[in-house]
Amino acid sequence: MKNGLKSIALMGLGAALGSTSLMPAMAQDFSGQTLVVGVWGGDIERLLRENVIGPLEEETGANVELLLGGTGDRVAKIYAERANPTMDIAFLNIFEAPQALADGVVVAPDPDLQMYKDIWPGMNEGCYAMSLAALGIVYNKDEFESPPEWEDLWAPELQGRIALPPFPGSEANGILAIAGRLAGADEHDADASFDKLAELKPIPLTYTNLDELLLLTDAGEIAAAPIISGYAISGMENYENIGFSFPTDPGPVLTRDMLCLVANSPSPELAMLFAEKALGVVNQTAYANELYFGPTNSNVELEPAVSEMLIDTPEEVETLTELDWPYLIENRSAWTDRWNAEILAD
Amino acid sequence: MARKSTFLLLTPGLFVTGAVFLSPFAFLALTSFWTQRPNSLLVDPAFTLVNYVRIATDMFFLRVLFHTIYLGVITVLVCLVLGLPIARWIARRAVVSRGILVVLIVTPMVSGAVVQTLGLVNLLSLLGVINGLLKQLGLIDRSIRFLGDELGVLIGLVQAFLPLMVLPLLNTMSKLPEDLESAARSLGAPAWRLWMLVILPLSMPGIIAGSVLVFFASVTSFVTPQILGQGRIQTFGTVMYQQSALVNDWPFASALAVTMMVLLGGLVLALRAIRQRLARRSNVAGAV
Amino acid sequence: MKLRRAAIDTVWIAWMAIGYIVVLMPIVVVFFASFSDGNTFRFPPSGFSLKWYQAAFESSEYRNALSVSLLVGILATLVSLTAGTLAAYALSRSTFRGKTMIETLLLAPLALPHIVWAIGLLQIYAWLSIGGTLLGLVLAHAALTLPFAVRIMLSTFSQLDKTLQDAATTLGASPMRVVVHIVLPLIWPGVLTSALFTFLTSFNEVTVSVLIAGSRYLTYPVRLYSELRSQGIDPTTIAISAMLVAMIIVFALIGERFLNWSRRV
Repeated sequence: MKNGLKSIALMGLGAALGSTSLMPAMAQDFSGQTLVVGVWGGDIERLLRENVIGPLEEETGANVELLLGGTGDRVAKIYAERANPTMDIAFLNIFEAPQALADGVVVAPDPDLQMYKDIWPGMNEGCYAMSLAALGIVYNKDEFESPPEWEDLWAPELQGRIALPPFPGSEANGILAIAGRLAGADEHDADASFDKLAELKPIPLTYTNLDELLLLTDAGEIAAAPIISGYAISGMENYENIGFSFPTDPGPVLTRDMLCLVANSPSPELAMLFAEKALGVVNQTAYANELYFGPTNSNVELEPAVSEMLIDTPEEVETLTELDWPYLIENRSAWTDRWNAEILAD
Repeated sequence: MARKSTFLLLTPGLFVTGAVFLSPFAFLALTSFWTQRPNSLLVDPAFTLVNYVRIATDMFFLRVLFHTIYLGVITVLVCLVLGLPIARWIARRAVVSRGILVVLIVTPMVSGAVVQTLGLVNLLSLLGVINGLLKQLGLIDRSIRFLGDELGVLIGLVQAFLPLMVLPLLNTMSKLPEDLESAARSLGAPAWRLWMLVILPLSMPGIIAGSVLVFFASVTSFVTPQILGQGRIQTFGTVMYQQSALVNDWPFASALAVTMMVLLGGLVLALRAIRQRLARRSNVAGAV
Repeated sequence: MKLRRAAIDTVWIAWMAIGYIVVLMPIVVVFFASFSDGNTFRFPPSGFSLKWYQAAFESSEYRNALSVSLLVGILATLVSLTAGTLAAYALSRSTFRGKTMIETLLLAPLALPHIVWAIGLLQIYAWLSIGGTLLGLVLAHAALTLPFAVRIMLSTFSQLDKTLQDAATTLGASPMRVVVHIVLPLIWPGVLTSALFTFLTSFNEVTVSVLIAGSRYLTYPVRLYSELRSQGIDPTTIAISAMLVAMIIVFALIGERFLNWSRRV
């Protein structure tokens, strides 16, 4: 019975694919069709509407709708709905994308496409690389004379005033890996990493939103915290006492936002057109200028002042710390228990 | 009432509960006996007790669950102590101010948990307004740590859920027969006896309704303990969030949810048994 | 004696004030912060401006999200109030085997953490092909709020004097007449309270909606939450929160002046 249903669904899918590929002349007219894109709200939404959705709707006659939320919500949604997806495109993070591909809920990026080739080599892991960012340090300017290095977070006089992100996640796994490297090992040595990070205890704050972190850092209650560049840099412009540092020893941890095409989605062709525009030069330049999100498209050219605030070349990526994400994912459940017991508990 | 009409009246409620609550719950309960395949977020549908063994053996989770229940009970008690006088005053004394007193107590339900909780962060932080005020008044020398402490979480829970207590109380207490109270008073009963013997027993339906709503709201709440607890206070809500939204271990999260439901169900049954025993005893006493 | 009475009243009012201060504290912060000229949620605010109010009125996205929330809230309230009142009436007026079980079942959704429940519901909706629809969202909100309606209506019915109904029935009134002329006026306060709870709970619900709501029916709290998940809170939403609270208070006072509604709560 189950297999019967599945084969009917596959036949339907085959028919849908067959019919669209038989009508190449109609490929640009999508009037009445709807594309559903899962993405964050706020400035990203605004930039996508201006640079991608507006032009796309005009050219194709299609209707683009946004499903707002965080990446965790989108992961839950595309897995739960994988038999019958409602989302066509999902923006995921650096480690969710390869996992989603391995589990077959997203479509593998196609190396023959121009938009694949425009992106710096080696970045389309799992899905298409959308933007680059790095885990650096947000800090209170009264506490540090110069932008701090990772090691400075362990200064004895700051003990109990370093905030951490929630575990697991790209930020929390990133700082754990940095701790391991400072201890002379790397992220594969869980004991060394946890022991080193536990030296920061007590942890005064596990931040879950930028507002509380920047508010308390600006006031001086929190001295510093590891956080991903981008929003932290655009957000800190509203505060007097906050700075952001890209450390050098080791370099900041590379993170990426990924654009994923959901497997068996209702409008795969429209999704492709959306992806081309989202990954294109115009949109990525706007991301960089307004949000300090590093472009992945090799054709993007930025003003020197902007370029300095973000990660935008393969050479810069070379200086970043790259983590063994599959290994971290494999251990995320066991390490969550360790984090709760060894880092958070007093 | 006729049996047939009873079931007819129950049908819409049972349909909504059955279709939208019970079926996902059954699914979730089933999932809790499964695990995820290695290196995958896909579920491996093979029966196992692994998740429950983990909950039973790692004291962390049980401790969090019991601590959450404890916080819920304290929240209910504080809401009762603050809510009873408010409901009583609105029900009996307030005339002109009645409308405004009711609407002001409801406002936390109007403007969303996130915005209000961040407002509380502004007020309760070490260098925040409240600590500043207390210092200015000379009441404290060093800032009180509200955030990242049970005190702050408790303040947040009471702030968010006091309306859930006051409205049911008001619903009941407005309808208490006044003649009974005046009779008791004219017989010279002091105020506290009036409360113990007349007002509280007659307000019981509202007290129970309010306590149930406040208790479950605080036990399952997530935003308040997450933001005001600053990661230092772990509750059922925060651990559920961690396991289902961050670790993405849905089978284990389901097992945690089922465990909590069983604990709470046990608690409800125990309370009901105690209540029945008490009722029987007072009946016996009444007969004597 | 009079002096003593006044002293008791003073203590009483002071005690009530504690409750009101706790409840209103963050709302006062929201109110002041909404007039800030800065770009972040901060109290005390740095300077005065109306720019966030202007932004609130100009944003069609927030307007759309608020109207979706209003629509979903009203529909969910209708479903949950009707189902809840009928069920509570049946439960309070009859005894049958399994009554306790049904009562517990109707209240059980209160104890379920929304996040895992929503993930389960999502799979069922996907299977039924109602993922992302208005129907799916309204049903989810109705299921979430049904326990509120059931619980409050149970306590309302338990206080209802049954002799009045019996008297009316004995005097030959039809069951319909009894319900309309005797029962409804008496339970009105409970109905209003339940409606208020149901609507406001639905209006502010995030955890379930963020997974269940479709792109066409995206509610206001979901929009707010999705912004919080990235760059942080948009001060526009603080102005909106302040306006919602102000609106409720103004409506309440006008209603009080003309309808004396609070007598009925």
